[in-house]
Formats: sequence, C-alpha cells, structure tokens
Amino acid sequence: MNKLVLVAAAFAALTFGAQAAAVKIGTEGAYPPYNFVDDNGKVGGYDIEVGNEICKRAQLECTWVVNEWDTIIPNLLAGNYDGIMADMSITDERKQTINFTDPYFPPDPSTYVSLATKKVDYTALKGLKIGAQTATIQSSYLAANLKADNTILTYDTQDQELADLNAGNIDLVFLDGSVVNEVVSGSSGKLKADGPGILIGDGVGVGMRKGDTDLTAKFNAALASMKADGTLDALIAKDFPDEKGGPFYKK
Amino acid sequence: MLVDWLPQGLKDALGPDIVFWLGYFTNGKHLGWYASVQYTLEAMVLGAAVALVLGLVAAAIRNSGPLPLRWLAAGYINVVRGVPDVLFFLFFPIAFEQGLEWILSTQVCTPATLALNTGQWPPCDAANISFTKDQYLILAGVSLGIVYGAFVANVIAGALRAVPAGQLEAARAYGMSRMQVLVRIHIRQMWVYALPGLSNVWMSIIKATSLLSLLQIMDFVTWAQRLGASNFSKAAGLVHDDWRWRYYLVLLIFYIVVTYISEKVFNVLGARVKRGMALAEQNLT
Repeated sequence: MNKLVLVAAAFAALTFGAQAAAVKIGTEGAYPPYNFVDDNGKVGGYDIEVGNEICKRAQLECTWVVNEWDTIIPNLLAGNYDGIMADMSITDERKQTINFTDPYFPPDPSTYVSLATKKVDYTALKGLKIGAQTATIQSSYLAANLKADNTILTYDTQDQELADLNAGNIDLVFLDGSVVNEVVSGSSGKLKADGPGILIGDGVGVGMRKGDTDLTAKFNAALASMKADGTLDALIAKDFPDEKGGPFYKK
Repeated sequence: MLVDWLPQGLKDALGPDIVFWLGYFTNGKHLGWYASVQYTLEAMVLGAAVALVLGLVAAAIRNSGPLPLRWLAAGYINVVRGVPDVLFFLFFPIAFEQGLEWILSTQVCTPATLALNTGQWPPCDAANISFTKDQYLILAGVSLGIVYGAFVANVIAGALRAVPAGQLEAARAYGMSRMQVLVRIHIRQMWVYALPGLSNVWMSIIKATSLLSLLQIMDFVTWAQRLGASNFSKAAGLVHDDWRWRYYLVLLIFYIVVTYISEKVFNVLGARVKRGMALAEQNLT
C-alpha cells in the first residue's frame, strides 16, 4: 500500500513537473517592503508574494534570482531570467527596451525624506544635495527637473542613500511614497517624510523581454484574476498598511 | 535556527543576550555569507593554478622559444602586467562571452532573425549565451590567472636566469639533452629564486579575489555589504542602522588570516626547495 502511494506520488510529481514550465524572475532583494532577503536568507516582500501567486495561477514553476538594480534590465535581455519584479515603474523610457505586464501596484507619488530637524523650502529647491537610487524614476526626475540648482547624487542601493542621509552628507532623499512609511517608522524618529508628493510613472509592472508575448499574456491573465477576486488588494493592504485610497483593483 | 537546538540549561547559563546574538550570527543570511567563502577560495586556487601554468609557459618561451613566439610571450608579459586587474576583470568575461556569441551568431543566425533584431546584442536570439554562476566563477578564476600569469612569468623568467650558468654547462657536459637540462636542472633549481616572488604574486591573487562581486557572483564581499546595510523593515529581519564597517572589518581580518597562513606555507616550501643546494656563496640562505 505504502509503495503504491509512493509510486502514485512520484508519478503525480512527474506529470506536474512536466506541466509547469520553469520561469526565473529577477528581483533586487534590497528594497523593502517590495523585495528583500530576510534573515533566513530567503527572498520576501510584496514583489515576491505577487510573483508567487501569479506563477501558481498561471501554473508556472517560478524561481527567484537576486540581481543588482543597475544591471537588472541588461541581465533580463541577456536571458539570465525571464521577468523583473522589483518595484519597477512602467515608464516610456523603459518601454523602449522592455515590455511590461499590466500594473500590479498603482501609480504612487514619490516623496522626499529628510532628517527630522531639517527645514526645506519645497517651493524652490536650491543649493541642496539630493540623493536617489541609480536608474530609478526618481533619479530621472531629479536629473530632468532639479539638476540646474542642486547637486544630484545617485546610489546603487536604497540603503546607501539612506546611510548618507543619516550621516548628514546629503540633505534629501527622493523615494517611492510606498517605501517611505517603513523607512521613517524604522528610523525611530530620526527621519521624516516631507514636501509634496510627485506622481511619476504609470504604476509597477513586471518587466518582460519584448519577444516573450506568451509569457506576458499568461502573467496578465493571472494578474487580472487576482485583481478581480481581491487577492491583489489584500496583499497591498498587508504589505503597505499605510497606503491610502484602496481598494485599488477590485471593482 | 541553530540556537533552537541548544539545550535549555545552556541557554539559561549564557543569558538571553548571548543567545540572541548567537542566533543572529547563525541565521540563514549569515550562513549564506559563511558559505560564500567557498567562491573566494575556489577563485583563489583556480587563479593561482592558471597563473602558474601560463607563467611557466610564457617564461620558458620568452627565454628560449622560437622568435615569433618569443615576441608573443614578451608582449603578453609586458601588456598584461600594465593593465589594472579591476579593468581586466571587467573586460575579459564580457569580451569572452560576446566573442563566443559573435562566433555562434555567424553559424546560427539567418538573415530573417538578424533583421528581427537590429542594433541589439546578441545579433539574434539563437546566438544568446548566458553563463551560469559556476561558469562565471571559472571565468573569474581564468581572468585572475591571465593577469597574474604575466607577473608569474616575469618572476620565473628572472629566476631561470638566476640559475648559475655553470650548473647548466655541467649538466650538458654529462650528456643530458636540452629538455633534460631544462626539467631536471634548470626548472628544479629555479624554484629557489622564484619562490619569494611567487609568494608575492600569490598574496596579490588572494587580495584580488575581493573583486568577484564585480561579476555578479554573490561572494562574501557582496554578502557583507548586504548584511551590513541598514535595515528599516521588520519583515526583512532585525532592524538596525548602517553596520557595514563592522562586516568589512571581518573581511579584513579574514584576508589577514589567509595571507598569514600562506606566508607560513611559503616559508616551509622555501626551506624544502633549498635542501641540498649549494647556495651559501650566493648569500641566498
């Protein structure tokens, strides 16, 4: 009897393995609460939870690849993985090189973070050192709008710009609004979110190679079902408790 | 977690603070860090092996090869010695990968697939090669070997010249062939003069392994960066500020320990190759 169960289980595993196609997803692993490597050495966060649910619904066998942010698009094109889920905002600039699925996080105003004691006149930013992560919507915005009167510094990872802010080397850091709350509450009063929210980008999507239209369609179908049954809104509420204005997707 | 397996009595004796830190330093992320030392050690050993072989061949050819080959060896030694190792480390794996892709593309790309993919690299999708982490590690070791092979060649070429000419003449007078003189007398005695220089090159190779992270290998420098990075998110684990210098300090200590051990090993080796050699008159004891 036991043997029979074992054989059946093995057979089931084999046929299941044959059905589920293997897909690798790249993430940064250093941008909580979207994605991080936790103390157990495992990737976690909103990107990963959404990605795993998409893969379950699309019957794909997904594994995660951690890749530095500044090479995350080149390595997608090089075929090191098949999709990017790393809080990547959908922008026209990125659409020239890669495709995006439908958004899985709504457009989100970017916000400045400063030391709690710092006073800044946000109507006329001048003579300040402002930090942002390399190749993000924030760094493009700063380069396009505030470069003339301020010094713009770019960093490889989010924690490096925050370390420089904490050390008083720069005046402001420009971050995704959805990330700011956790940064501020984690700083135990040292940092504050400040200034007006500035809306950039068309929401967060999964980055895909232009040729992979089948995979993009599968991801979109899974995302649509997650939006329709409220799963996506529940994940947003769980990972971003301070995010106002939900539910975003359930009709 | 490993600390969960500790008996309760031991936990009480240690106190909650020590148990907490024991747990923190043995969590999955730290275990990943400790395990990543293997990449560094592998690159070290592979790099040294490639450097030694390349260096021996280049030095032997430069000293006594046919003329065009001699120029080639001298060119390799002089050019590569003048290139910063960081640059070569960035250059070689990418150049190698794209070179392979270019060769492949001349075979597998059709005009139709080439037209589909204008201005992009690789020329067509079928010619795309993506290396695994292990292959990148091998490439990293080979890059190290190529850079430091030039230094090894220089050291060995000098050492070959330092062997007293009388020794070689005597060997030839005994009727040994050219090859026998080279292997039995020349190279055998060369080690005495080469070892101090080789130990320097080995130290450089050890230190250059800290560049592995440039090749997207999650080596222990990358892990240290990630572990030390300030963490604001409870979901990601212990909330702490910027701890990077503490982790970098551990790396410094690691390298000092490894170089210290190597120095001891080289001392033993040096004593061994000197056995039975008449070196007193050259003050090389």
